[in-house]
Parts: sequence; structure tokens; C-alpha cells
Amino acid sequence: MAFQILLNVILAWIWMFLSSDYSTIAFFKGYFFGLLIIFVLRRFFHKRIYILSIIAILKLLWIFFIELIKANIDVLKVIFSPTSKVKPGIFSLETSLTEGWEITLLSNLITLTPGTLVIDISDDNKTLYIHAINIENVEQTKQDIKNTFEKAIKEVSH
Amino acid sequence: MNKKNIKVNDLIFQTVTKIVVFIIILYSLHLFFSGHYTPGGGFVGGLMTSSALVLLLLAYDVKTVKNILPFNYINIAASGLLIAVLTGLGSLFFKVPFLTHSFKYVDLPLLGETSLATAVLFDLAVYLVVIGVTMTIIQTIGETE
Repeated sequence: MAFQILLNVILAWIWMFLSSDYSTIAFFKGYFFGLLIIFVLRRFFHKRIYILSIIAILKLLWIFFIELIKANIDVLKVIFSPTSKVKPGIFSLETSLTEGWEITLLSNLITLTPGTLVIDISDDNKTLYIHAINIENVEQTKQDIKNTFEKAIKEVSH
Repeated sequence: MNKKNIKVNDLIFQTVTKIVVFIIILYSLHLFFSGHYTPGGGFVGGLMTSSALVLLLLAYDVKTVKNILPFNYINIAASGLLIAVLTGLGSLFFKVPFLTHSFKYVDLPLLGETSLATAVLFDLAVYLVVIGVTMTIIQTIGETE
């Protein structure tokens, strides 16, 4: 992905030199034509074309915003309910992610969606220990949410 | 730094540090160069750079950081002092009092008209001294058990 972006920038640069026009517009023209060439020759590369990765990153952002709003509404319900029925607890979650940045991203996404909080990671980086504000009814849905996050992160590093 | 009885997995901290250190150092350079007309300067820039190095020290071991940055911070502080004295002595060649600073507008090929001031060299000296002193203090405290 990084190599393809670098190649595209270099192609845009060469376009600027060929047309001897060093404006921003010329750069974007060259970038567009470079993207066209990379798209046609996309089977040269081992990895998929980088536009798909960028779309996956945007999808991850979109999922994150939606989950943030939903989870905050849930926490508001917990705060304003007259009878406190919360049952806090700690559960473990097996991740299939391997890279350091993937696990960091997943942990930060879990922590930023209220109701859950990553406390610790096991030494072999395979298990996350998560504190949940409501361990009874949310456990199953939480697992589903983690699956959506994990799936989206895997899409990015595909 | 100290002997840890409990092993903690610092994966998230180290991954975030890898990215954030570069941003802090870039911001410290921006502060350093903006010192003439806007708030900033050598002292704040040096403190900001050493704070980035302290973040590295917190996230990794002292040995790892020494392998990454094999600097002797005492020498850095000494070279900063040397630069400060030399900028002061430079004014004596032009028959003006000690530490007189001057500036000149120079037409550089890419940047256009820029003002080059000798005060920047003095600021660089301050920057180096601050980094050297701060890191020496922190490393000496960190190494003594």
C-alpha cells in the first residue's frame, strides 16, 4: 500500500516536470493519471490496489463514529436510571490480530466506546482483558461489536 | 528504570510512543524556529525535545534508548556552551561590543527573501544546553538504584 502511494506521488511529480507547471492543480492532474495507470496495471503488485485500503480505513472510521454515538447513549441510560442495575465485571477476549498497531487500534477502539475498557494484554499478545460496565446482558453483543471492529481492522491490513 | 516485580505488557504504550515521539520532536523544532517573532525559542524547544526523549525512556528501557540514541549528553551541553561563546566572540571581529547580534536579508534560491540572524545560532546553543542538562539529570537519577 505504502509503495503504491509513493509510486503515485512520484508519477504526479514526473507529470509536473513534463508539463513544466508546478502548481497544485498540475500535481493533482498527474496524481489522477498516475492512479489510472496503477489501476490498469494493478496485477503487477502483490497487494491489492491501495484505494481499497483507503476505503476500508474510511469504513472503520464510520463504524467507530456510529458505535461511539450508540455506546454513549447506552451509558446515558445507565447514568440516568433511578435504580442502578449495573453489574461490572472483567472478561477476556481472544484476538486473532497479530501486528502491534492492529492490537493497539483495537484496544483504543474498545476503550473509546464507553461501557468497555481494556485493562491489560496478555504477554503473548493474544488475549485482551476487558472491564465491562454491564457484564450480564451485554457480553454477547459486546463480542459481536468486537467482531465488527476486528473484521474492519483485518480489512484494512488485508 | 526500576526493578519491576510484576511484568506488564506495554504493547499499546510502545506502539503509540513510536508515532507520537516524531510529532513531539517536529513540534519542538517548530517552536525553536518560531522564537524570533512568535512565542517559542531555544529554551522551550529544548525542553520539548527532551520531553520526547523522556517519553522514549518511559516506554522502553534505558539500554534500548541508549542503543537508539548513542549520544553523550554532557558533550551536547558542552558543545552548546561552546557555540554560545563563539557567537559572542564573533562580534569582536567587527569592532563591536561582545555579544552584539546582527541580521541580514539574504535571497535564497528556493525560500525567497529570508532574514538570517546570528541570534539563531545563540538560540541553537541554548537548545543544545537545555537538552544536554535535562537528559543528564534524568539519566543520572534513573540509573542510581
